[in-house]
Amino acid sequence: MNKELENRFVTELENNQNIVHKVCTLYTNDRDSHNDLFQEITIQLWKAYPKFRGDSKFSTWMYRVALNTAITMYRKSKKRVQTQDYESVIFKIKADEYDEAEEQQLKLMYNAIKQLGDIDKALVFLYLEDKDYSEISETLGITEVNARVKMNRIKNKLRTILNP
Amino acid sequence: MMDELELLKKDWQKKEAYLPKLSHAEIHKMIWKKSSSIVKWILIISILEFLLPHLLYLLPSAKTSWAIYESLGMSNYIIGLTVVQYVIVFYFIAQFYKRYKEISVLEDAKKLMRKIIKTRASVKYYIIFSLSLLFFAFVSAAFAIYISEDLSVLFDSMHTEVPQNVSPERLKRSFIWSVLILGFCFTAFIGGIYFLLYGRLLRKLKKNYNELEQIEV
Repeated sequence: MNKELENRFVTELENNQNIVHKVCTLYTNDRDSHNDLFQEITIQLWKAYPKFRGDSKFSTWMYRVALNTAITMYRKSKKRVQTQDYESVIFKIKADEYDEAEEQQLKLMYNAIKQLGDIDKALVFLYLEDKDYSEISETLGITEVNARVKMNRIKNKLRTILNP
Repeated sequence: MMDELELLKKDWQKKEAYLPKLSHAEIHKMIWKKSSSIVKWILIISILEFLLPHLLYLLPSAKTSWAIYESLGMSNYIIGLTVVQYVIVFYFIAQFYKRYKEISVLEDAKKLMRKIIKTRASVKYYIIFSLSLLFFAFVSAAFAIYISEDLSVLFDSMHTEVPQNVSPERLKRSFIWSVLILGFCFTAFIGGIYFLLYGRLLRKLKKNYNELEQIEV
């Protein structure tokens, strides 16, 4: 493969790397696994890049490959010990932007999301990324109606955690 | 009151500030690293599984068993069986390769998982086939002993003497049973190991696939 393609790919990924980092944040619990998954997603994106035609946005295409890798292709290595000092990005909440109750709520919700299964996490992730149901359904391969039903169930689950 | 989930969504967008930033060079280094994806593992393990049973024939003990088959007048039968076996093995390999090639990370999650499971299934059927064949070989040997008139040829091929203090009838019976029991244990042992490994490899994927399936019910 030629250098030009390589450079174009790396530049696009560099500009959109947030998407991949966010997926890694949801699906891993320590820095090493985060980097591991990031690398695997990068490899999968690069392998599939020649098939990327540019008729959809690079970022849209990335969501699919990144989630597929996290849900399906990635194998967690069991050896990893969770590093104590590592605080996942999602728990970094700026205290001065919220009142105490809100901060507490956010922490509870993020905690709950972390406990969800891989598929539920994917739904929540796409919801948080402001994707509509047609995109969610296409990414996961379920019908739009069922995506909506499932999402509502997850939302209710999160609400009950906050208001028991 | 502001909806909690809206609050969450807003906060999520702010997270970008905390995310790591990799440089162009760091990402560039990654693209040539080796993948350790489940699909890669399936390929490696499957190739091993296709090869291993055939490497067993190279062991010295395989020659002894060949001598035993010959002594029982089964050699033509075994050759025929081997030809059939290889035709089927090549069919499985071709099917595996075709399905493997169809796996694409660009599909939706459900289709991708289904294709991986199907690819793996062609290896699973191959293993079930090999195990049945293995067990069948033991059963045939037991049958050959049953119809053979003279057991001394069998003992000659194993380079041992025919025990004199046991009646031929009893000897035959205990022989048949040992072959059958040995065959059963051996097949079960290999099958057990195999399905343990197989289960481990796809556990997470199957769980996620079932979860997606359940959404559709």
